[in-house]
Amino acid sequence: MTEPGSTLEPAGREDAAALECRDVVKTFKRGRRLRRKTMKAVDGASFSIRKGELFGLLGPNGAGKTTLVRCIATLLIPDAGSIRILGRDVFKDSLWCRQRIGLLTSGERTLYWKLSARANLNFFAALYGLSGKERDKRIDYLVELLGLKEVENERLERYSSGMKQKVSVARAILHDPDLILLDEPSLGLDPQFARFIRQFIREELNQRLGKTILITTHYMDEADELCNRIAFISRGKIVDVKSPAAYKRDIPHTEVLEIRVQGQPDTRPVETLPGVERASAEFKDGVTTVKLVLPRAETALADAIELLRTGSKILGVDVKQPTLEDVFLYVTGTSLGADTTEKPDEAGGRPGADGH
Amino acid sequence: MGIDATAGVIRAEVSKTLRIYFAYPVIVVFWALFPMLWVVPFVFQGRALVGSASSAAFEQLTGSGNYLAFVLIGAMVSNFVFSGIWGVGNSLREETYWGTMEYIIVSPTNLLVVLVGKTLAEALVTTGIVVLQAVIISVLPFGISFTVAKVLPVLLLVGLLMVGFYGFTIAFAGFTLLIKEVHGWTHTLEWVFFLFSPIRYPVQVNPVTQLVSRLIPLTWALVAIRGIILLNRNEVSLGRTVLILLAMDAALLVGGWLVFRWLERKTRRDGTVAMH
Repeated sequence: MTEPGSTLEPAGREDAAALECRDVVKTFKRGRRLRRKTMKAVDGASFSIRKGELFGLLGPNGAGKTTLVRCIATLLIPDAGSIRILGRDVFKDSLWCRQRIGLLTSGERTLYWKLSARANLNFFAALYGLSGKERDKRIDYLVELLGLKEVENERLERYSSGMKQKVSVARAILHDPDLILLDEPSLGLDPQFARFIRQFIREELNQRLGKTILITTHYMDEADELCNRIAFISRGKIVDVKSPAAYKRDIPHTEVLEIRVQGQPDTRPVETLPGVERASAEFKDGVTTVKLVLPRAETALADAIELLRTGSKILGVDVKQPTLEDVFLYVTGTSLGADTTEKPDEAGGRPGADGH
Repeated sequence: MGIDATAGVIRAEVSKTLRIYFAYPVIVVFWALFPMLWVVPFVFQGRALVGSASSAAFEQLTGSGNYLAFVLIGAMVSNFVFSGIWGVGNSLREETYWGTMEYIIVSPTNLLVVLVGKTLAEALVTTGIVVLQAVIISVLPFGISFTVAKVLPVLLLVGLLMVGFYGFTIAFAGFTLLIKEVHGWTHTLEWVFFLFSPIRYPVQVNPVTQLVSRLIPLTWALVAIRGIILLNRNEVSLGRTVLILLAMDAALLVGGWLVFRWLERKTRRDGTVAMH
């Protein structure tokens, strides 16, 4: 169930939520005239984030996370609903709200590679009205903080992906925003840089600087590690909003039976075994991973193996305690590893669905 | 955003554009030399057809038989126009390729201010190139001389031409957000200008081109500039041309801004604004 929304706050109220989305709808039209289809990327999403909160939007690819973030950042205009930052409507007071938003998206192609880190930051600082000593002081502080001092005057084309992401982080917080939107911030980074980024988000941005952060991810560990509260989003709908601990506590079962099978066998008979509450099957690199959520794994273990090994080789069996990913599967019926992007025709997928 | 901050954005945009531009130094040589080389075949073609550097038939149409000077002036002035289409029109497309477009849109700066910076950077580069061309032309025996008395009204006309034209290119920049393709449209526009304005030939040779050319500011500017440089007729037509260009500038700036604003909002609604 979605967290109950508070009443809309008048502009500028001190006690207003840092971010409040109410019944946000965004549809896209795709395809040629006669074959034109409408896809609901965001379907009545409502949630609010308190000041200083680190809030996660967790959902599989194509769930609508990026589209929702783009609506909040004013990159997209929603069809319906309202989005308020500190009590002000992002489309009526867009310039005021933009001054208070910092955005970080995944992918290294978001900066000028022919310019140095400092030249990039100088340019974006100007867009936020920073100039002169104030700008220089702020950039000095950020390059020092993010460990870019040694390379600040080198062109970005010589940087690694992780270093570029550090510059992107510096840009996102350059103007000292109240609300930071992080869209898959560690996607594509090597583990060391991903760890650094996560640590920086939690310890520096959230705990030390007290920033309100909205982070989208399809990495369960990332959401579990970082977030105070998490909204599950599936097929454009906010399914539930709770703390990671509350999610795990509330799940009414205790075990997950995971079976890895060579090839791509028919998993439907296994998914309908007695006692199975939720099931998913993911095929990757020639291996199908079947996950069954049920009160006690051993009740279905023998039958599941028997059914799956007909024509396929069992590669491994594991019984696990539920993770946030399993909770997501239980609540939404969709695996986080799934791609739920609608593909209407050859005209292309959903804009904003984790890349463009 | 106040005036200081707006000026700061324009300065930052100009600085950024020029830094990226000069990160590829060879392109400067290309833009300085190519328009000159482009003229040479027309010179040879003219000589082959007429048999000399001057033509009586050409003089009947334009008042000057020096078709070589006619083409050179057309090449120089049209340089502003074409580099504007490529530079300003293509600039937002470049931002989408670089992945930086989203970050400009989500900033509290109006996209139009950024475009003004891009326009200014483009105008600076093109002016540098055209000045270089003018120096080359004036020292070579083409029958064109630039005196202060001629240069000042020419600068006024070029300035007025570019103000209106950049209004058009801002609309074109918005159009590129929608169509996601620039090269085909830019080439098409180039050929429209070649056909309907007196860049390479006097449009009086055909009644249709003559009629359509009146709607294009480049025509008015070129006729007046050639009148000043080749025929020493600055007093006669300058005032009228300035008024016409001012009226066209107002229409193109307002129209360009409205079209851009509409297209930018449309692409944000469609979800395609930062796509390439």
